[in-house]
Amino acid sequence: MAWITKNSAAQKVERRSQPYLTDAMKSDLRARVLPRYENPQGALLPCLHTIQHAYGWVPAQAMLEIAEFLNLKPGDVIDTASFYEEYWLKPKGKHLIQVCRSIACEFCGQREVTQACKDALNIDVGETTDDGQFTLVELECLGSCGTAPAMLVDETLYENVQPANIARVLADHAKKNGHGHGHH
Amino acid sequence: MTGWKSPYTDARTRFEHTMAYSPKFSKPVLTARIPSPPFGEFKDRHIVSYDEYVKTGGYQALRKALTMTPEAVVEEVKKSQLRGRGGAGFPTGLKWTFLPKPGPDGSGGQRYLAINADESEPGTFKDRLLMDFDPHLVLEGIAIACYACRIPTAFFYIRGEYHHQAKVLENAIKEAYEHGVFGKQGLMSGSATQNPFNGGKWAVDCYLHRGAGAYICGEETALLEGLEGKRGWPRNKPPFPAIKGLFGKPTIINNVETLAHLPSILDNGSAWFATMGTESSFKGGAPSYGTKLMGVSGHVNRPGVFEFDLGIKLRDLVEQYCGGMRNGKKYKGAIPGGVSMGILGPDQFDAELDFDIGRKYNVLGLGTACPTIFDEDTDMVAVARNISRFFKHESCGQCTPCREGSGWLYQLMSRIEEGGGRTKDLDLALEIATSMGSMPGTTICGLADGNNWAIRTIMNKYWDEFTAKVKPTFVPVRVTVGASA
Repeated sequence: MAWITKNSAAQKVERRSQPYLTDAMKSDLRARVLPRYENPQGALLPCLHTIQHAYGWVPAQAMLEIAEFLNLKPGDVIDTASFYEEYWLKPKGKHLIQVCRSIACEFCGQREVTQACKDALNIDVGETTDDGQFTLVELECLGSCGTAPAMLVDETLYENVQPANIARVLADHAKKNGHGHGHH
Repeated sequence: MTGWKSPYTDARTRFEHTMAYSPKFSKPVLTARIPSPPFGEFKDRHIVSYDEYVKTGGYQALRKALTMTPEAVVEEVKKSQLRGRGGAGFPTGLKWTFLPKPGPDGSGGQRYLAINADESEPGTFKDRLLMDFDPHLVLEGIAIACYACRIPTAFFYIRGEYHHQAKVLENAIKEAYEHGVFGKQGLMSGSATQNPFNGGKWAVDCYLHRGAGAYICGEETALLEGLEGKRGWPRNKPPFPAIKGLFGKPTIINNVETLAHLPSILDNGSAWFATMGTESSFKGGAPSYGTKLMGVSGHVNRPGVFEFDLGIKLRDLVEQYCGGMRNGKKYKGAIPGGVSMGILGPDQFDAELDFDIGRKYNVLGLGTACPTIFDEDTDMVAVARNISRFFKHESCGQCTPCREGSGWLYQLMSRIEEGGGRTKDLDLALEIATSMGSMPGTTICGLADGNNWAIRTIMNKYWDEFTAKVKPTFVPVRVTVGASA
């Protein structure tokens, strides 16, 4: 409804004193990534990947920093960042569980897998556990149709998933460090 | 090394990736270095390093290509009638000739190759096999394509969910740089080529670019938007990417498997390529030569990626190589290659899998030739609901027929599946589907068309299942007697 306007300009950006996009990240991006692209905006996806990988989500302050770094308007950054599903614009749990719900997986037992995840964590799809350890989502096609059902925990792909093993998989991941989602 | 292999796999019922061979050729082409029965054991599969790749005859085709003029390479690929393996089946050599003519110095200026590895259509998982195990085969294809089209820069657009494959490729590209396939100081730039530009010295850069979870970025112009750091919104055509593509420069977009075919075509010649595959099963259609990776999923005993001559019958694929239907069930239907292609009905089990399957069997096309098979117990309404949810989720939102239509279809399909559907919902669904993507298209890209074909063919081929689930609607008629206010 076009007549309802939101005063986005007055939106408060939560800030912290130290930057999200660190000098080390900047120099790495400047040396390795920026020269590949004809204009700085080309490097936007790799920059967002860097932030996503380091913090597990992309805070508004980080997007402002990226805009400054690449000499873009902040609107350009959020325009892109909000389109791609891999970038989390809100904090998520330390570990991300993504269960594939596409055609081959659904008809080879995905529902049982999702149910087992829900039972093991006592949360619904789209929620995060109270201790902030796990976020559970369903997504479209992981490219493991021949080995359905499949799920991705952080960066580890599990194929032919047996619901009975899910509690064990998740317990293994709980011991590991998080934020593995999306390397650059 | 085996990051994708799950320790929790139930290997009793399934193989990791099964591979078989076709009786028509004696050894695999694309999967020569990926051991599969009957040529090897799954357990011997490993990532092929640069050294091993070269030892087994790798990069010979590139050397051969460098002794030819770029035009001769294009001509050879054109003669082979190689058709793109990404889904549309467009002739690769022809696509290359759409690039502008090079200047008198032999330089084409800045132009790009974009490698489409955004394999995210449900049912499709074939390119992954090459990226998992034999990345240099793809890289050699990239180098050959870049030489033939005088392209100095290649971007490898890989989908965000392929974490392991991205690492494998990153490493392989590094190896290729170290050994001078790519880069300014390389073997290729040192050897005199037949390209007159820069005294025959020739260098290519190849970069990996990771996507971030958007199916639409597999559409070629959306992919370019993703490379430019923008929302993955498909562009209007024309201008076509070969004229005005990435950063406004001429750009060629090829699928991973298409590029992987180039080394063997250059090595053995276009005549050899035409000994594999088939003439069109449709009278007057273009031939489908060569082998094809086919990823079979769904209700079969041994799903996995197979390499076959194009033209194999779906029944042979399932019964001879996939161990038949699971649990002894009967075949009910199959999606030929990615959910946007529509569905092969119960009486179309004998369909020949070639690029002209669409015209003969009333589906959109072969797509990626990765069939998803359904057994007799499958609820086809649920299949339609799943597919419409996928398209609703992945519609980029640019064009109204697709953005609104996909949502409407999903709601209708959900309602019918849950038993709340009305008879008129069926007509409404067909009407929406048809309005979304009937030719000529009502939208910028083909996503809506895929949605239309999928839903329309499922409904038409399994009409009874849909009508059994809906109830007739009785519209109460109110009769007002006397004067009304």
